[in-house]
Amino acid sequence: MIVNRVTLLGNKDHGKSTLIGSLLISTGSVSEQRINDAKKTSKKLGRQFEPGYILDSFQEERENEMTIDTTRAQVKYKDTGFEFIDVPGHEELMKNMLSGASYADFALLIVSAKKDEGITEQTKRHLFVAKLMGINRIIVAVNKLDTVGYGKDRFDEIKTGITDYLQRIGFDAESISFVPVSAYNSENLVRRSKSMKWYKGNSLIDTLVELSHSRKRSNGKELLILLQGTSEDDRKSVFGKVLSGELRKGERIKILPDGKEADVKQIFVSGRKRSKATFGNVVTLELNREIGNGVKGSVACTNTKACRVESSADALFFDTRPLKGRLSIKMNSVEIPCRKVVIDRTVDIATGNIKNNGSIKPLQAAYIRLTFPRDIAFEDFEKIPELGRFVLYSDKKFAGIGVIKDQSR
Amino acid sequence: MIKQDIKSLEERSIYIMREAKSNFKNVAALWSMGKDSTTMLALARKAFHGKVPFPVIHIDNGIDFPETYQFRDDLAKKWKLDLIVGNSIIKPEMSGYACCGANKTVALKKILKEYGFDALIVSIRRDEHGIRAKERVFSPRNKDFKWNYKNQAAELWDNYSSNDDSDGHIRVHPLLDWNEVDIWNYIKKEKVPMNPLYFSRDGYRYRSLGCTHCTTPVKSKAKNLDQIIKELEATDTEERAGRDQDKEKAYVMEKLRALGYL
Repeated sequence: MIVNRVTLLGNKDHGKSTLIGSLLISTGSVSEQRINDAKKTSKKLGRQFEPGYILDSFQEERENEMTIDTTRAQVKYKDTGFEFIDVPGHEELMKNMLSGASYADFALLIVSAKKDEGITEQTKRHLFVAKLMGINRIIVAVNKLDTVGYGKDRFDEIKTGITDYLQRIGFDAESISFVPVSAYNSENLVRRSKSMKWYKGNSLIDTLVELSHSRKRSNGKELLILLQGTSEDDRKSVFGKVLSGELRKGERIKILPDGKEADVKQIFVSGRKRSKATFGNVVTLELNREIGNGVKGSVACTNTKACRVESSADALFFDTRPLKGRLSIKMNSVEIPCRKVVIDRTVDIATGNIKNNGSIKPLQAAYIRLTFPRDIAFEDFEKIPELGRFVLYSDKKFAGIGVIKDQSR
Repeated sequence: MIKQDIKSLEERSIYIMREAKSNFKNVAALWSMGKDSTTMLALARKAFHGKVPFPVIHIDNGIDFPETYQFRDDLAKKWKLDLIVGNSIIKPEMSGYACCGANKTVALKKILKEYGFDALIVSIRRDEHGIRAKERVFSPRNKDFKWNYKNQAAELWDNYSSNDDSDGHIRVHPLLDWNEVDIWNYIKKEKVPMNPLYFSRDGYRYRSLGCTHCTTPVKSKAKNLDQIIKELEATDTEERAGRDQDKEKAYVMEKLRALGYL
C-alpha cells in the first residue's frame, strides 16, 4: 500500500498532536496498550485524558504539554494509507518542524477557533515554509469549535483569513477544503458532528482520502542520476539514484560537473541485474572505465543540458539562525562551501510582501544569491526537487533551508 | 498494521546505507541475529553489489538462545560476514534496565574504542515504540553514548548530516520507516534466512527476540511466513509485549535510549 505522508502545520497549542491522537483512536489504528499508557500518564499528571500523549512520548513533552520533536503515526482508512507527521508548533523548534514537514506529500493545517487564538504569525510561517518546500496540497482543520459554541461565524472568519493569506503567497486557494472540527471530542474527524449541522462537507478523514487521489509526480524525460559513491571492490562500479528519465544498458553517460564519460556495461536495480533503470530506482552501474573518486554528489546524464552546471545560484531561503562565519550548503547529499551569500530581497512572511532589503533575521525569508568556489550540478527546484533544495549551515550549525529558483528564467 | 510498499522501502534503505558508507570512515553494523538486523544485512548485500562491506557486531552476553548462536554461525559463513563478537558479562539477577542499559553498552563502548568505528548501523523501526518514532535517520551519540533527544539535529529530505562535533559516533537507522509486517513481507519475497525461534512450536513463537532472560514467547499458531504475516495484519498487541516489561514502561525506554541502549 502506498502511504500518503501528511504533515501537520499550525501554531503551538492549536491541537496538532491531539488531532492525530484522536484520529488514531477513532480509526482503530493504535493498540489498547498505547491508549492505556496515555490514559495512565494523564491520570498521573492529574489531567484529563490527552490523546496527544500517544504521539508525545518524551517525559518532557508530556509534563510540559508541548511537542518537542517530530514523530509519525500511520492510519488506514477505506483502503487508503496515511502517515501523519506531527511537528512542534513552537517558534524556537522550527528546525524540528522543518525536518518532519520535509517528508510530506501534503499538509493539514490546524487553526484554533478558540477566543484569542485564531490565525497567528506562526500559522502563516508554517504555511509559508510548506509552500517553499513544494507542498502544494493543503487541507485546513478549524479546531476547538466546541469552545465557541460551534459557531459558523468564527469558522468563516478563519476561512476568509487563511484563504486571503494563501492567495498572497501564491497558492491556488480555490481548491482548498476547510473542515470545522473538535479534535479533543473527535467531532468531524471520522464521523460527522451533530453540533455543526451548518457544515455540509465531508469529515476530515474523507477529505484527506479525496485529496490523496489527486495527481502524483510523473517521470521526467531527461535522464538524471544522483551518484552516491564508488564500489570499494570494483572501482568501475558506481552507486546512484535515478531522479528522472530512463537509462538503458549500453548507453553512454556523462558525469556532471566534471564532464567525464563512460559506457554503462551492466545495470543493477536494487541489486538485481536489469536491462534498464527508471525514476526512483537505486542503481549500481558497471562502467567500462574508472571515473575516479569524488563522484559523490555528481550527476550522471545522457544530455548535458538536462541540468545546470554553474558556480552561482538564486534561491528562496528561510532562515533559522543568524548568518555568520563560514557558510556552506548541503545539496545533492554533499557539503558545498559558499564563497558568498548575498541577500537580494526579503519577504515579509506575515503579509507576503517583498522588500528590497539587504539583511535577514531568523524566522524570516529572503531571495538570495549563492556563489560557490567551483561549478556544481543542480536544477530548479520546481523541475527536479532533489537537485534544487538545500540546507544551509552557518559555522557547521543548521541555519535554514532553501530552494533554487532562477529569477531570470 | 499497514503493509507498506516494500519496493520503495527497499530503495530508501539502500540509499541510506550507501550514504552511511560514503559519509563515514569506519562503519559497522549491529547484528542481534533478529529479523530486523538480518533483513538489514540482506539489504546491505543489495546495496553493495552482493557483499556486506562493513563488520557486523554481536554483543554477546552468553545467554542468547542456542538456536540464535547456530543461526549466527551459519549465516556468517554463508554470507562471508566480518563478524565481531563483543562479550558482556551477565549476572543471574540482572535483567531489563541493568542488563541492557549498562551491561551491553559497556561491551559496545569497548568495541567502538578498540576498532575506532565512527558510525553504527542499527535496525530500529519507528513502529516499535513511541520513543523510537522520534529518532532521526542519522542520530549522534556523544562519547558517553548519550542521545541528546531534546535537541536533535535538523534532518531534511535525504540530506543526512554527519556534522557532529560531540566526539562520539553516529547511529544510522536504515529501517526506521519499516513496519513489523513489512519486514516479514520482505523476508518472504527475498527468502532471507531466519532464526527458527520466530516460528510457532507447541502453540508459541517469539515475536521479538532478545536474550533468554528477558524474552518470553507469545501465543501463536503461525508456523510459516504466510501465517506470520496474516497474524500481524490482525493483531492488536504490541510487538515488544514479550520483552521484559520494565523496559517498555513509561519513560524507561527513553532513559535506556538516552544512555545508549540499542
